Amino acid sequence: MSIQKGTLEIKNLSKSFIVDGTPLQVLSNINLKFPSGSFISIVGSSGCGKTTLLRIMLGLETRYEGDALLDGERIEGPGANRGIVFQDHRLLPWLTVGENVAFGLDKLDRKAKKLIVDEHLKLVGLSGFESAYPAQLSGGMAQRVAIARALANKPEILLLDEPLGALDALTRMHMQKELERLWLLEKITMVMVTHDVDEAIYLSDIVVIMSSRPGIIKKIIKIPFARPRDRASSEFMQVKAEILKEFHLGTEYPFAYAI
Amino acid sequence: MKNFFQRIEWKDKLLGVIVPLLVLIAWQSAVSLQLFSPLLLIPPLTLVDTLWYLASSGELTTNILASLNRVVFGFLIGASAGFLLGLFMGLSSFFDQFAGPLIKASKQVPQFALMPLIILWFGVDEFAKFVFIAIGAFYPMVFNTYQGVSSVSKRYRELAQVFDYKGFRYLTKVILPSALPLIITGVRHSLGLSWMFVVGAEIFGADTGLGYMMAAARNMFQIDVVMSGLVVIGSIGFGINFILQIIEKRLLVWRVSTDQGAKCKS
Repeated sequence: MSIQKGTLEIKNLSKSFIVDGTPLQVLSNINLKFPSGSFISIVGSSGCGKTTLLRIMLGLETRYEGDALLDGERIEGPGANRGIVFQDHRLLPWLTVGENVAFGLDKLDRKAKKLIVDEHLKLVGLSGFESAYPAQLSGGMAQRVAIARALANKPEILLLDEPLGALDALTRMHMQKELERLWLLEKITMVMVTHDVDEAIYLSDIVVIMSSRPGIIKKIIKIPFARPRDRASSEFMQVKAEILKEFHLGTEYPFAYAI
Repeated sequence: MKNFFQRIEWKDKLLGVIVPLLVLIAWQSAVSLQLFSPLLLIPPLTLVDTLWYLASSGELTTNILASLNRVVFGFLIGASAGFLLGLFMGLSSFFDQFAGPLIKASKQVPQFALMPLIILWFGVDEFAKFVFIAIGAFYPMVFNTYQGVSSVSKRYRELAQVFDYKGFRYLTKVILPSALPLIITGVRHSLGLSWMFVVGAEIFGADTGLGYMMAAARNMFQIDVVMSGLVVIGSIGFGINFILQIIEKRLLVWRVSTDQGAKCKS
């Protein structure tokens, strides 16, 4: 039997950058396996290499040791089977909302394009905005367009790099609901990098906790709670405490205590 | 609300009329008080008469067309060369290092200083004028295009990579639109300089054109024709810039401000 579409596997992956002539290891011996169709969050303090890991999955970082495999094939560059939503919406300001959503559909004819654009704008609740320019949108709306653009290509995996990081708290919670709705609807694998623990617990089946310098995987927590999740429930709080404990040890434990 | 803003706009425009009006009054007073010899300063109304005479005799049209013709050719040659070189320099750092230093260094030479050399090499015929205007048009175009193309945000370059935009498609869909604001600035400066340079070229030696008209009038001490030439040259330069501004607004319609809000069609 072949592997299910959207299965991501990372084996003994390490990555270093050359900074001022000396190599700086950002990721060390990462091993992960994400089942197809799951929602995964990678949390960690800034500088732990979580974004680098995501960029490897996307194919923007191609020089790494070990393997990053999508459906059993090594990731060597970007591809249409992976969609990305960046922290900044990264819509092209000279294209309308509709043209932005169609950005990855360049090879299709006009009719097919319009159909997909309409469908995906409706999906993110922005029907009727196709002729607006990005500069006319609010942050939340722009990020919805970015999500529509990523989904329009029908990817097997949607990669999200702190997609809600630039939004205000209320919009953010609203967009978390939206992401959950889209994930349930599209049934694709989603991998999200975030530094918001609540967001990770609210959305994920699996939370991967990373620590920094070099980036290693500290803990993998499975969250089997039913959806939609109640942020105030005791089980939610318990998991949150468990995750936050990891961060305390990782970042605030004074060096002297460790000796 | 809209009415209110329109009124402010009108007020601002009226404000701009005050200084020219004062200059006109001072000019007429200087003439009336006979502060200068009538040979050196003519009354404003005489200028209007002369302009009318030049226009109705067809002399003005002939000279304007001659100058415009030179500008169009010189600009097209110089701006195209500038655009292409700027594009290649912006796209390839190898080409930038190869051709950039000479272009940057040669810009330091005042282009009017090249006039004697151009006359020696090409004489004073039409071709020499095209060359001179083209040199004027070249520099703003090459530097603005270079700046626009080389400063395409890494964020957009990554996006293009993710969506597999390469080659010509990448150039036309990402690089050029992103560089367009600066390219348009380049066109505006380039065309503006072309218009300045054509007058320079014609004063040096020509038998048609606005510059020629002024140089010939100066020889015959026709101060009214000299001043008419200045007015016409200024007005056309202003007109060219005005048209380009409208085109710029049309092309860069996406630069809308957020407070205009999105227009929902449905």
